[in-house]
Amino acid sequence: MKMGLLGNLFGGKGKIEIGAPVKGELIPISQVSDSTFAEEMLGKGVAVIPQEGKFYAPADGTLESLFPTGHAYSVSTEDGAEILVHIGFETVKLKGEHFTIHAEQGQKVKKGDLLVEVDLEAVKAAGYDVTTPMIILNSDSFSAFDKKTGSVNAMDVALVLTKA
Amino acid sequence: MVEFSYVIKDELGIHARPAGLLAKMAAGFKSNITLTVNGNAADAKRLISVMKLAAQQGQTAAFTIDGEDEKAAADALKKFMQENL
Repeated sequence: MKMGLLGNLFGGKGKIEIGAPVKGELIPISQVSDSTFAEEMLGKGVAVIPQEGKFYAPADGTLESLFPTGHAYSVSTEDGAEILVHIGFETVKLKGEHFTIHAEQGQKVKKGDLLVEVDLEAVKAAGYDVTTPMIILNSDSFSAFDKKTGSVNAMDVALVLTKA
Repeated sequence: MVEFSYVIKDELGIHARPAGLLAKMAAGFKSNITLTVNGNAADAKRLISVMKLAAQQGQTAAFTIDGEDEKAAADALKKFMQENL
């Protein structure tokens, strides 16, 4: 819980920092091609155009869900954020092809644990947009969303939540 | 209390988007709504909970709805399942 302590010391009470799940370019989620995510219908968040195929846990918590296809996973943190990482759009249709799972649904995870590896070039060659939304499923529990943009390494701060 | 079951026909199962739409619809009702798939139960109003089920084609989605608007909720959910899954 080192990050939680630092968050409290430097970010003020009730702030939760969420890391980028992958190295790449953070963009406003409103720019993504999939309206379900662009309009934040499932929750507020950011999107990252991945530059590497290694996807990590964005925070300490429990790996609540990891689809058998590997294309999406969610982590719930101890301070109450429910984070969904959805790798690419319509990638559920690949049925796991080009995705390698390195974790198990239900397990505890630490920020930076490798969860899924993706052959990005193969997914792109198959015709899919690999832009990866990271959204907060329980957005109603938070009053503010500080959404970062620009180049990030995996685990750099991508989103800072303020508790409602 | 109202119960109904639906066998999932969509070959992709209840993945993120349909799970999200389902949870959003369920959250619009006052009744408690439980979705059970393959022996695992989830609060249908919580997206993270619905996704955890990773419901696949051919599996049975069993709904249990309890509350003042249970009839309306059951009708809406049945229609949603038939049209989307």
